[in-house]
Amino acid sequence: MSVAAIIDWDALLTVIWASAVAGVGVTAAFGFAILGGTRALELGREGRPGEAALFGAVGGLGAVAVIAAIVFGIVVLSE
Amino acid sequence: MEGELLTVIIVVATALAFDFTNGFHDTANVVATSISTRAMAPRLAVGYAAILNFAGAFISLEVAATVANDVVDPGDITLLVVFAGLIGAIAWNLITWYFGLPSSSSHALIGGIVGAMLVAQGPDTIFFGEGIVGKVMLPAVVAPTLAFAVAGISILLLYRIVGRLRPGPVTGGFRGGQIISGGLLALAHGTNDAQKTMGVIALALVAYGSLPAGDPTPPFWVVVSAAAAIALGTYAGGWRIIKTMGSRIHKMDSAQGFAAQGAGAAVILASSHGGFPLSTTHTISGAVIGSGAAKRLSAVRWGVAGNIVAAWIVTLPAAAGIGALTYGVTRIFGTGAAGPIVVSALILAGSAVLFSRRAQQGGGVAAASEA
Repeated sequence: MSVAAIIDWDALLTVIWASAVAGVGVTAAFGFAILGGTRALELGREGRPGEAALFGAVGGLGAVAVIAAIVFGIVVLSE
Repeated sequence: MEGELLTVIIVVATALAFDFTNGFHDTANVVATSISTRAMAPRLAVGYAAILNFAGAFISLEVAATVANDVVDPGDITLLVVFAGLIGAIAWNLITWYFGLPSSSSHALIGGIVGAMLVAQGPDTIFFGEGIVGKVMLPAVVAPTLAFAVAGISILLLYRIVGRLRPGPVTGGFRGGQIISGGLLALAHGTNDAQKTMGVIALALVAYGSLPAGDPTPPFWVVVSAAAAIALGTYAGGWRIIKTMGSRIHKMDSAQGFAAQGAGAAVILASSHGGFPLSTTHTISGAVIGSGAAKRLSAVRWGVAGNIVAAWIVTLPAAAGIGALTYGVTRIFGTGAAGPIVVSALILAGSAVLFSRRAQQGGGVAAASEA
């Protein structure tokens, strides 16, 4: 039997793409949460409420994406 | 039957002791990055990891199924094989802990069982192809490489996203993020590693006759006891290994710590779902090195990383050798409980010697706090 035949390619490829999407995606989303939150505070202090609200929304979306990804991952794992 | 009952009790106790040493040896790796970047104080990080290790053990049983079904033939397993395999793993864990090498408890366990089975029942009872190569050795290469790549890409992306911000809030933000990513990593560790002990106890129960060889799903008491043992081991802590993982590979900032923990958690959780009993130590090391190498290749202390790789390569055959030797020694006393009792006494005495020598050399909590 060849090495290729004894490998569960479906499971292995799923691990690879799921890890890449979850790892990079959650990290990037958290980066946007920090970017949005930090810039929103700075712009708010500078008296630019419109831009502050925009960055606040970016930060909020980033934070929601992180939480949603974690909850989704744990639900999938426990099924 | 009474002799067999005593033997199965010793084997289950040994499996839980292995689980404890797994927590003691491996889980320090989980908290090292949080401590290194000062996201969490050492004691808090270890307590937090212990709680999430316990919780993680309840998430899935895929890895336990792989260990119980796909490594060796559960129909040919005996209590002495399981016992000898566990002693092989525990002895290797203690040796590598003593020398401060973050080798893999998982590979030590699988190596120990395979070595003992090889001597006891011959090569036909070992699933070298789909089991050892397909579910253990290939993931052993893929997981750390994947964690390396994911952590590297993540940190490059993070620097692009937050690179123009003032460092103060960014550092604070990522330190907060590390509470989440460190928690996920501890959860992932509990999910993958506690299940290996569950799988081994299931094999012992198959050998004893209380679980069918065709469906060795661990009963709930096994899940709870394995979860508790790894959590207690985590709390006891592996301070010397924290030092190696957290700062000796490379000095990291909080964004790198977050990226490394996130990548490690993602790879371990996805692998657990696929039923791959991979090494959490290998995976976390890969992520830590990836987060450093992406920033600057020279930031990684490649000599330390090389020692870790050497320990990885040696672990399977070394634990298999100790497992085989232990089986041989145990069989001198027959097939009853006498062999396991004698070997357990010897390993306890050996452990006591190693722990007292480590204590004399100052491998305590204070040393880790200073690291």
